[in-house]
Amino acid sequence: MHCKILLSYNSVNFVGKNWSGLSAQMFLVQSVQHGLTSKLARVASCAHNQLCHYTNLPLKDEDRIFTNLYGRHDWKLKGAVQRGDWYKTKEIILKGSDWILQQIKDSGLRGRGGAGFPTGMKWSFMNRPPDGRPKYLVVNADEGEPGTCKDREIMRHDPHKLVEGCLVAGRSMGARAAYIYIRGEFYNEASNLNVAIREAYAAGLLGKDACGSGYDFDVFVHRGAGAYICGEETSLIESLEGKQGKPRLKPPFPAEVGVFGCPTTVANVETVAVAPTICRRTPQWFANFGRERNTGTKLFNISGHVNNPCTVEETMSIPMKVLIEKHCGGVRGGWDNLLCVIPGGSSTPLIPKSVCDDVLMDFDALVEAQTGLGTAALIVMDKSTDVIRAIARLMEFYKHESCGQCTPCREGVNWMNDTLARFTRGDADPDEIDSLWEISKQVEGHTICALGDGAAWPAQGLIRHMRPVLEERMEQYQMKKQQAL
Amino acid sequence: MSSLVGRSVGSLKNVPIKPIMSANPTEARRRVLTLYKQWYRAVPKIITTFKLPYTKERLQNRIREEFLKNSHIRDVRAIDMLVIKGEMDLQETLLKWKQECHMKELFQHETAIRQPTDFLGKFFSQK
Amino acid sequence: MLRSALHKVGPIVNLPGRFSRYSCVKICQRNQSTDNRIEVFVNDQSVWVEPGTTVLQACEIAGIQIPRFCYHDRLSVAGNCRMCLVEIERSPKPQASCAMPVMKGMRIKPDSDVSKKAREGVMEFLLANHPLDCPICDQGGECDLQDQSMMYGSDRSRFLEHKRAVEDKNIGPLVKTIMTRCIQCTRCVRFADEIAGVSELGTTGRGNDMQIGTYVEKMFKSELSGNIIDICPVGALTSKPYAFTARPWETRKTESIDVMDAVGSNIIVSTRAGDVLRILPRLHEDINEEWISDKTRFACDGLKRQRLTQPMMRNREGKLAMCSWEDALPIVAEKMVNTKAEEMSAVVGGFADAETLTCLKDLLNRYDSEGLCTEELFITDGAGTDLRSNYLLNTSIAGIEEADLVLLVGTNPRFEAPLLNARIRKAWVHNELDVAAIGSKVDLTYSYQHLGDSTETLKQIADGSHPFCKRLSEASRPMVIVGSEVFKRDDATGIHAAVATIAQNARLRSQKGGQDDWKVLNVLHKVASQVAALDLGYKPGIDHIRKNPPKLLILLGADGGAVNKEDLPKDCFIVYIGTHGDHSAPFADVILPSAAYTEKTATFVNTEGRAQQSQTAVSPPGFAREDWKIIRALSEIMGSPLPYDDLDGVRARMSEFSPNLTKYDAVEDANYFNQAVQLARLAKPSLLNQPLQSSQLSLADFYMTDPITRASTTMSKCVRAANEDLPPDL
Repeated sequence: MHCKILLSYNSVNFVGKNWSGLSAQMFLVQSVQHGLTSKLARVASCAHNQLCHYTNLPLKDEDRIFTNLYGRHDWKLKGAVQRGDWYKTKEIILKGSDWILQQIKDSGLRGRGGAGFPTGMKWSFMNRPPDGRPKYLVVNADEGEPGTCKDREIMRHDPHKLVEGCLVAGRSMGARAAYIYIRGEFYNEASNLNVAIREAYAAGLLGKDACGSGYDFDVFVHRGAGAYICGEETSLIESLEGKQGKPRLKPPFPAEVGVFGCPTTVANVETVAVAPTICRRTPQWFANFGRERNTGTKLFNISGHVNNPCTVEETMSIPMKVLIEKHCGGVRGGWDNLLCVIPGGSSTPLIPKSVCDDVLMDFDALVEAQTGLGTAALIVMDKSTDVIRAIARLMEFYKHESCGQCTPCREGVNWMNDTLARFTRGDADPDEIDSLWEISKQVEGHTICALGDGAAWPAQGLIRHMRPVLEERMEQYQMKKQQAL
Repeated sequence: MSSLVGRSVGSLKNVPIKPIMSANPTEARRRVLTLYKQWYRAVPKIITTFKLPYTKERLQNRIREEFLKNSHIRDVRAIDMLVIKGEMDLQETLLKWKQECHMKELFQHETAIRQPTDFLGKFFSQK
Repeated sequence: MLRSALHKVGPIVNLPGRFSRYSCVKICQRNQSTDNRIEVFVNDQSVWVEPGTTVLQACEIAGIQIPRFCYHDRLSVAGNCRMCLVEIERSPKPQASCAMPVMKGMRIKPDSDVSKKAREGVMEFLLANHPLDCPICDQGGECDLQDQSMMYGSDRSRFLEHKRAVEDKNIGPLVKTIMTRCIQCTRCVRFADEIAGVSELGTTGRGNDMQIGTYVEKMFKSELSGNIIDICPVGALTSKPYAFTARPWETRKTESIDVMDAVGSNIIVSTRAGDVLRILPRLHEDINEEWISDKTRFACDGLKRQRLTQPMMRNREGKLAMCSWEDALPIVAEKMVNTKAEEMSAVVGGFADAETLTCLKDLLNRYDSEGLCTEELFITDGAGTDLRSNYLLNTSIAGIEEADLVLLVGTNPRFEAPLLNARIRKAWVHNELDVAAIGSKVDLTYSYQHLGDSTETLKQIADGSHPFCKRLSEASRPMVIVGSEVFKRDDATGIHAAVATIAQNARLRSQKGGQDDWKVLNVLHKVASQVAALDLGYKPGIDHIRKNPPKLLILLGADGGAVNKEDLPKDCFIVYIGTHGDHSAPFADVILPSAAYTEKTATFVNTEGRAQQSQTAVSPPGFAREDWKIIRALSEIMGSPLPYDDLDGVRARMSEFSPNLTKYDAVEDANYFNQAVQLARLAKPSLLNQPLQSSQLSLADFYMTDPITRASTTMSKCVRAANEDLPPDL
C-alpha cells in the first residue's frame, strides 16, 4: 500500500532498554518488495499454524500467575500464601544464582517493560567477578505509559508476588538490596506494597537471613514525583539518587555503573513478579505458552472503544481479534466499526483494522506489522475517533514529558506537536506531511534515551496508515477558508 | 624551474648571466647618459606643465643628484633595471600621469621637520 | 565514558559526595601507559589511540574536527547537544562521539551520509527555536552556532511554527543573559559546578520549557564567572560591560600577560582605535589553562578612568598643576642630584615591571643609594630573599595536580589567586587531593580540614606534636602554601621559619624521603611585581624608609597604602611615577604619568618565578610614557645617562642581574631548602599569639584591590552586587 514509507523504515535496535511503555523491539522490516497486505497475510497464515502448536488458547485458570488480578481475594501475606506465594522460596534461594538464571533463560522470558530484552541474559550481566561494590536490583514500577495499567494491578492486588520476585531476582544476580521505584501517583499501590514488605520482614521472609536461607536481602520503596521520563532506566537511577530525572549516557550501562555507582539491573514489575512462579512451576511450563521466542503469559490492558475495557492475563501470541472479542466484549459497534489499534502503549505506532484482523499479540508479529508489543496495552479506536486529534494529544503528552536534555527530543517533539496541532485543524499543506515524517525521522534514533523514538513513532504510524485522512482534513480546511473569503 | 633548483650553486656560477638590455658596462653607461639627457631636456616642459616654483637649474641639479645617488652601482643588470624605471618615471611625468605634489616630493627633504634621533629627544617629542 | 573511567580509577562508593557523574578525560588518559594503545579507523584511516579515548578525540587525532556544542575539553561530558553524532560501523544508529569510548577495530565514519544527515537534523532543531537576531547579537562573528550552521546546516528553513521566547535572567553585573538564544548545552552549568565550584546555575523546567538559571534571581557569585561567557557557544551569555561595543573582526588582538594577581594569567587584549575593549583568556596549560578571573577580565575599564595623562608639579600655591615633561624632569633631576645618597629612596608597587625595576635600581645605585624597597612585605631575617626557593611557589601551579596533600597557611587563594584555587579544586575533584588550612575559615569552593587560625597550631605542626603531622608524613607529595599576607605580621620571620620547617619535615618524611626533586614549600604572592623585585635585590617592605627618613622619595606605582604622607619627613620631595591618580599621587610633589600593563612591552615574573612578557596593545594615554623610559630620561638629564636606550639594552642589563628574568616562560628550579631552614633557625624566630587571618574573606573583598580595579566602574558594581547579594539593575 505504501511502499515508499516501508522503504524508509529504518531498522532500530534497542538492546537493553527496559522502559515500561516504549516498544523498542522493532528490529527489522527489510523485505519491502512485497506489498504490505500480501506479506501480512502470509505472516498471519503461517502464524496461525504455529499457534495451534504453541499456544494454549485460551489460558486456563490454573495456568494464571496473577490469581488475584481483580482484587477479589486477600492481598496481604495470608492470602498470598494461600495462593501459593512464598512457597518454598527458601529452596529456590538455596539452589543459587546459576540455577535461577538457568530457569529464567529456559523459560524464554522477555522483559515485560516494553523492550522485550531476554531477561535471563540481562540478569546474567550482573554475574561478574565481585569488585567490592554492592549490586542492586531496581524495580521499575514507574508505570506511566498512557494506556498501561498492568503493574498497578500487581502492586495493588498481588504485592507479595513482586516482593518475592525481588528476592528471587535479587538472589539470581547477587544483589544486596532491591529498590522499587514506584510512580508517585500510585499512592494506594505504594501503601499496599509497603504493607506487604513490612509483613514479609515481620515473617522473616526479607531482611537478614531472608526466608531462613542465609541470604541477606532488603527491599526499599522509593516514590517518584510524577515524571514519565523517570520510567526510563537511567533516568530512574538518577531520580533514585536524588537528582533531576534525566537519562544518562550509555555506555556505561547500569550493569557496570548504575545506582550510586554500583552495578544495577533495572527490571519491570511484571518481569520480576513472574520469576518465582517460573522457578516453582518450571520453565518448561512457562515456555509452553505462546510462540517460540515469544513465550509465557502476559498481562494485557485493553482500553478505548471496547465494550468491556479490562486487564487480563493471557498467553502470548494470542490473536488480537480473539483477545478483544473474548475478554472485552468486542469493539464498540462491532469489529467492522474498528478504525485502528495502538497495540503496545502510546509509544507504538497504530495499526489499521486491516492489520488488526489477523495480527498476533507478541513481540515478533507486531514488529513485522511495523509496530511493537510494548507493554501490551491496547488502545482501541473505533470509527468515531478523530485519529489525528488522538495522535496530536499523545504528542502533547510527549512534549510535556520530554526532559529537555538533548536537542532532537526537546526541539523536535515540540515541533511535531505544533505541526500536529495544525494538522488537527487541517491548517497545513499536504507537503508538510512529508516534512513531519522527516522530522520524526530526525528525532528517532538521535536521542539519548528512547523517549524521542516513542514520540516519533505515533506520528509515523499516523502518516503511514492514515495519510488519506490527513489530506482530506487539509482539503476541507482549504475549502472552508475559501468559502469564508 | 625544477631543473635549476636541482643544480648546485657552484655550477650556477659558470652559467653566463643573461643580460637585460646591455651586454657590457659601456653600453649600460650609454643608456644612462641617454636617459639623463632626456630628463635634462624635459626640465623646462616639466616646470611649465606642473607650474613648479623652481628654476630650471634647480630642478636640473635635483635630477642630477638623483642620478648620482646610484653612481656607485656597477652591476650591468641593476643599471639596466634602474634605466628602465627611470624611463617609466619620465614617461609618467611627461604624460602628466603625475601631479604637482609628486614633483614637489623631490624637494620635500629640504622643508620637512626633522625627527629627533637621540633618546631624550624622542622621549620628549613622541610616544 | 565518564563513569566507566571512574569505575577504573577509584573506589566508586565514595563518589556521590563529589562527582559520580563526572570525570575528566585528561586524567584518565594520564593513567594509561603508552603501550596498550588500540587501533581504530576513521574514514578507513588507521589511528592508534589510548583506550578510554572518545570517538571524538580519536577523530581529532586523525585530523577530523567533529562539530560540537555541549562538549568541552575541560568539562565533564554531557552528550546532550547531539551535534557530534557520527556513524559507527555495525552500530544501528549514529552515536554521540563525545561520550562514546573507542573500541578495538572500531570503524568511525564521520563524513558518511548518515553522519551528515544527523548533523543537519540536529542543526535544524537547534535553529528552530534560536532567534534570528545575529545582527544585534554580541556573539556574532565568534558564535559556534553561526559557524556550524554555515558548515553543517541546511540552507533553507521549513519551520512554520512559533518560536519560543525565554525571559532573561539577571545574574549580576558581569554576565548579560539573553536566554532566548540558549541552546541548553549546559556548559555554563557544568563550569559552575566543576571548575568554579559554585553550584548556582542549573536547569529548571522540562522539555522545550527547560531553562538555564539560578532558580531565584540572584548574582552568580563566583570569582571566575566571566568564563561562562567564553564557553557559551551562542550569544546567551555575553559580557555586560562589553555589550554592543564592537565586533570581533573590528578589533586588534594582542597577546599579553595579566598583572591583577601574581599568577600571571595569559590574556588577549582586544583593542580598537587605541581603546582596550575587553580582555580574553589565552591558553597556557601551566598557568591559567583557559580561564581567567573576573578581575583580570573586567577591570580593563579601569584603564580609562582616573588616569594620569600629563606630568604635574606643585605650583606656588602648593597645588598640583599640569606641566610638560621638559619642565618636570629637570626639577626632579636637580633634586636628585642635590640629595644625599642615604636620603634618597624608592618604593615600588604591585604593577612595576622588571625593566623599570632594573632601570630604577641602576639609577639609584649610581648615586650610591640602596633605598630600593617594595611595598609588599616579605621576611628579611634568616635566608630572607637571598635564596630564591624561599619566596617562590616552588611546586608550580601545574604541580598541584601531582600533589596529594595541600596545607594552606594564612591565605585565601580563592581571592588572592583565583586560578591557583581553581587548580587546587581541579586536583581535589579528580585526584583525591586533600586540603587543610590554617587561617581564616573561608569558602574555598572545596571542602578542607580547617586546623584553626592560631599560630600555636603552626608551632605544633612544626614540632611534630599536632595530629595533622601524621597525615602530612603519610602524604607522598605534600605541598605547603603560605600566603604573602602573613609577612605583614610582626612575627613574619617566625611564621616563615615554622612553615619552612613543616615543609622540610614533610619533604624528608614523605615516601620519597626528600630524594626526588619534589618541593614542598610554596609562597603565594599577591602582586605581579614582587618576584621580579626580589630577584633584582629590592628590599621587601618599607622598613628602610622608616629607619632612614628620605629627603627624596620615588614612588613607582606604590598605591598599596604602605607609604603615607604622615610617615614621611615634612621636607621630603615625593616623585610619583604611575598610572592612576589613586592613593599616592595626591601627596606627590611631582607626578610623572606612566604606562599601564596593556600599554607597554614589559617583563613580569609570576609567583612561580616564571618570566613572561606583556605586549603593547595600545599606546599610553596623553603624555604618559613607558616607565623605564622615564627613568632613563631622568638619568640623562641628571647628567649620567644609563648605558642603554632601548628595550634590548635594558633586557641585557636585566639578565646581568638575574638571568631568569629574560628566560621567558621558563621556570627555573630553586632548591636550597636545607640551607634555608638552617639559616631560618639562626634568626631565632618567635611566634606571636595573634590569629592568622586573610584580609579578603568574601567575594566583595575580591574585586577592588589595586589602582586599576579601584578605578573600574565594573568592579565597583560587582562590589555592590556582591554586598547586597542582589544584582543592581543594570
